[in-house]
Amino acid sequence: MALIQTENIWKIYEMGQDVVNALQGVSVEIERGEYVAIMGPSGSGKSTLMNLIGCLDTPSRGEYTLDDKAVSKLSDDELAGIRNREIGFVFQTFNLLPRASALHNVELPLIYNGTPTRERHEMAMAALEKVDLLDRKDHKPSELSGGQRQRVAIARALVNNPSILLADEPTGNLDSKTSQEIMSLVDDLHSQGNTVITVTHERDIANHAHRVISILDGQIATDEKIPESRRNGIH
Amino acid sequence: MVTPSLAAIALKAVLAHKLRSGLTLLGIVIGVTSVMTIISALEGMTQSIERDLSRLGPSTFIVQRIAIITSDEMFYEKIKRKPVTLSAVEAITERADLVEKVSPRAMNRASVKYKDQSLRRVFVAGTTANYIDIIDFDVAQGRFHSPEDDKYRRPVCFVGDAIREEFFAGVDPLGKTLKVGSAKYTVIGVANKMGSSFGQNRDAFVIIPLSIYSQQFGAPRRGLTLMIKAYSIDVLDDAMDQTRMILRAHRQVPFNKGDDFDMVTADSILEMLNTFTRILRFGLVGISSISVVVGGIVVMNIMMVSVTERTREIGIRRSIGARKQHLLLQFLFESLILTLSGGIIGIVAGFLIAQALVGMMEMEMEPSMLAIVAGLGISTGIGLIFGIYPAMRAAKLDPIKALSYE
Repeated sequence: MALIQTENIWKIYEMGQDVVNALQGVSVEIERGEYVAIMGPSGSGKSTLMNLIGCLDTPSRGEYTLDDKAVSKLSDDELAGIRNREIGFVFQTFNLLPRASALHNVELPLIYNGTPTRERHEMAMAALEKVDLLDRKDHKPSELSGGQRQRVAIARALVNNPSILLADEPTGNLDSKTSQEIMSLVDDLHSQGNTVITVTHERDIANHAHRVISILDGQIATDEKIPESRRNGIH
Repeated sequence: MVTPSLAAIALKAVLAHKLRSGLTLLGIVIGVTSVMTIISALEGMTQSIERDLSRLGPSTFIVQRIAIITSDEMFYEKIKRKPVTLSAVEAITERADLVEKVSPRAMNRASVKYKDQSLRRVFVAGTTANYIDIIDFDVAQGRFHSPEDDKYRRPVCFVGDAIREEFFAGVDPLGKTLKVGSAKYTVIGVANKMGSSFGQNRDAFVIIPLSIYSQQFGAPRRGLTLMIKAYSIDVLDDAMDQTRMILRAHRQVPFNKGDDFDMVTADSILEMLNTFTRILRFGLVGISSISVVVGGIVVMNIMMVSVTERTREIGIRRSIGARKQHLLLQFLFESLILTLSGGIIGIVAGFLIAQALVGMMEMEMEPSMLAIVAGLGISTGIGLIFGIYPAMRAAKLDPIKALSYE
């Protein structure tokens, strides 16, 4: 069975009189080890889909199964547990705690699953080493460049060995050179066996993936495999 | 374990804004300090009175023209009473068979001189030799005056520790001559140190035989205080009734009128005192608790601001797997750390103020466990009560909205 399986999921927001159908029956399957980009213009519903896949939200209708667990039926606490163990988020705005050191930021997910202090420390150091930032572990986000901040965020996403690395516009706040660095890091993580899902509106970024799903008006418009020849980055 | 890590996160957040945290807990500090000081003062007062009263044995009672005044009316009524005289002592000694001993005491203030040193307004008491059998004095040196001293009006005196300290530091006081008022007295005994209560030095006294006291100071205007000891605690009530009847007859009180004298026991004084301090404690602690509550509101206000300011942080924590209760606990810990540290500072400050007051006003203060427990309890309670709402707000935030909060 696929790692991610959504069956005809809907997300309906009611705002006063208005009813917004952000997602209108999306069915998608993503296998373990895949590298998928979700594309679409703003307002297309791609962020809503990402929030659902990332277990930040539950669908109004339809079924979402993540690693054989029926996520749409889970309680708030159980969802928090899934986010903690199965999902590694990478955000456009990095979303690091400004007052905490890089190391503490990376340790954060481990705090919430009760990992003992020493083990937590070791795991966070290992994750920082993977993104090549061990020498910056005591720096606060404000003392790091944009690219470095995003690498800390990636280390945080990886620290718990999640099933999915979920990156929402990971290069949206970076210049093109740094974007290339971050994307090649993401490519590397995929080639090491991680399941990667990026959400983007840029074709360039999307083309790093092996499969691109484009969303329009809350529905899947296209779902295509990207042949090696058309891919960006080194594979 | 997640909880200790949450407490550590909370502590870091409190320490990150030192000035803000300091100002926030100021209200709690002031409140707890005043509660602490008041409880210590009341406790000290009660204990020193209890200790004074314990010098009166359990089978002893006191007869006085006026012993208790609880209102103005009572004062104007009682001020008309006749003084208690030596003839009353004779009547009781002769006729009250349940009474073991009666000791009359007259009191005045006079200046006391030794060589070129002098002390003003020292308590001078004139009493009989059996006074020492009824009132529990510790004799440090020498002796109390004897019946013979009283009978032959010998100019001898028994002095408190403050007199010894002031005049005879490093010298044997026995046999030295003091000038009390205008007359000379030979020191024959010194009492042990008793300390002070209510800013009053209880060691600054001179006791002389009643006979010579009357000769020097005349008949006491306000009458004598009678210390009366019953044969045992079992017959105390009967002895008091007996004494009352004898005194009423002696003072010719009409049968339809109340006593024209007051009778008190150590227990009755204690009971009154306890009622009094209970009211005082409730009143004062109640008033100073208001500032603790105001302090709690300040904490709540700051926590609300803090939750709003840190909406994004809350979103980040939720997105990486923090549960609602983790955030609830984190923010609750923050307000608890604020109020508890305020409480601890308040307890220490209250203790220091109590110490300073002891030094300055010769007041007795007792920094009791009760005060410490009350201080910690109040600050914890305030932290929980005023911290729970902001913490719940933090926990209830929708992670998606919190993440996109600017």
